[in-house]
Amino acid sequence: MALVAVAAAMLINTLLSKVPTGLEECHQAIVNGHAHQVCASTMRWRFFWDVVGNYIFDASLFRGLWLTLELTVCAMAIGITLGVITAVMRMSPNRIVSSSAWLFTWFFRGTPVYVQILFWFNIAFLYPTIQFGIPFGPHFFTVNVLTLFTGFVAALTALGLNEGAYMSEIVRAGFKAVDEGQIEAAQALGMTRLQTMWRITLPQAMRVIIPPTGNELISMLKTSSLASAIAVTELLKSTSNIASRTFQTMQLLIVASLWYLTVTTVLSIGQFYVERHFAKGSSRSTPPTPLQRIKQDLRRLGWGNREVRS
Amino acid sequence: MTTPMVDARGISKSFGSLHVLSGVDLTVERGQVACLIGPSGSGKSTFLRCINHLEKHDAGELRVDGALVGYRQSGNKLFELNDRQICAERSQIGMVFQRFNLFPHLTALENITIAPQRVLGKKGPETVRRAHELLERVGLSDKASSYPSQLSGGQQQRVAIARALAMDPKLMLFDEPTSALDPELVGEVLDVMRDLAESGMTMVVVTHEMGFAREVADVAYFLDEGVVQEWGNPREMLVSPRTQRLAGFLSKVL
Repeated sequence: MALVAVAAAMLINTLLSKVPTGLEECHQAIVNGHAHQVCASTMRWRFFWDVVGNYIFDASLFRGLWLTLELTVCAMAIGITLGVITAVMRMSPNRIVSSSAWLFTWFFRGTPVYVQILFWFNIAFLYPTIQFGIPFGPHFFTVNVLTLFTGFVAALTALGLNEGAYMSEIVRAGFKAVDEGQIEAAQALGMTRLQTMWRITLPQAMRVIIPPTGNELISMLKTSSLASAIAVTELLKSTSNIASRTFQTMQLLIVASLWYLTVTTVLSIGQFYVERHFAKGSSRSTPPTPLQRIKQDLRRLGWGNREVRS
Repeated sequence: MTTPMVDARGISKSFGSLHVLSGVDLTVERGQVACLIGPSGSGKSTFLRCINHLEKHDAGELRVDGALVGYRQSGNKLFELNDRQICAERSQIGMVFQRFNLFPHLTALENITIAPQRVLGKKGPETVRRAHELLERVGLSDKASSYPSQLSGGQQQRVAIARALAMDPKLMLFDEPTSALDPELVGEVLDVMRDLAESGMTMVVVTHEMGFAREVADVAYFLDEGVVQEWGNPREMLVSPRTQRLAGFLSKVL
């Protein structure tokens, strides 16, 4: 925490201190008679942040941001669903079921997600059409793969499958962290395997599953920017579209970064509350929310009612 | 003569090459309290877990209330029961564990109501009313909304007993219910078990509490090396053991 704070302070200092020093330098330069040089650098610096400010609320950016969020949420939904299914499959006593789940994880975790995105985008080269029907019998309908796998669908498929492989391991670790005695107790009460998993194991596994899943969600938000490579106009692509028109590459990269940071912040706050919900019963009391913590600190410093603290 | 509640004939069980049970014979009549005693590793807990099929026995015949445990007989052949049928058998047998195994994400009340609701399909209000009755019976009527982590070991074990009783079992199994407790908390759990025995519940108790065995049990079985070495009335058996092994064991624990 402290390290991050220091690093952030240094960064802000570097960015902001530029302007006053610049002005001073500028003044000095005018005195010295070669004003045009340094003034130009200062002006450039100011112009830089003005550009960032101009584009940060651009309408096309909001469309891109929306697409990024759509991509992130849908891919995570696919990933979590696949992850839970494959994790349950991995723990199956049936060897065929468990090894096919292992194979899934091995493949989609073992190849770069960028390659997977390109693969699904170009899948039409391999299979131009898909026919649904009975083998050697009548077919019911045909799907044109080229129109089905648009950039968005290709990116969603790749990100979702890749995430499924990672989530599978996370969910499995969660299940494994639950004490064997819990399963025995549930079985002794006559609960079926599925009831035990749903009512007893999963709620306890959630405590272990949530933090890395929050990580995955945030990572997905940023990985979704790879979709820009196949012309999906998500956040990064919508900023680079502007940049390619105006040549203000750096400014628009910063615009994109600021939006990624904003969404990440919102997600982190959400994660805190979800974690707090599932901590229920694991410790004697739930951790305080940041607001409660601030109130506590204020109370300790002498503001507000002292009796409240018991 | 009525069918005994538990009837075991030649139960054997091995984990790999380790023979844990080698032909255990045991009978518990309706309303009886049976204590299983013996050194650790003698197979008492394993045998107890066979009774509700948490462990699968390899050989022998095990019946609870006349019905085979885990199997179905058709002619001369035995067929393993499916998941659902095993669950139905288990739901009639209560079990209390050494380490309580309460569900930590549920309150004491929810721990007690979950199985009647999900397994027996009972209505919410009915199970809640019954749970409050049971909590009162084990002396914890004020702890309904506490989570297990907020309870002492003795309190947790009493909730665990209430949880098992909520299923209205015909048989209760206790697997060293006081071994994980601080000495001063043992009494409160034994009191609840004593009450339960007096109410006529059939109980099989694996325990190291010789006092409890002598006082409450109708029959005691001494297991060693996977075999019943000696059994009989605990008040006689624990005072004047017939076998050398039991005498040796008692000299160590008493």
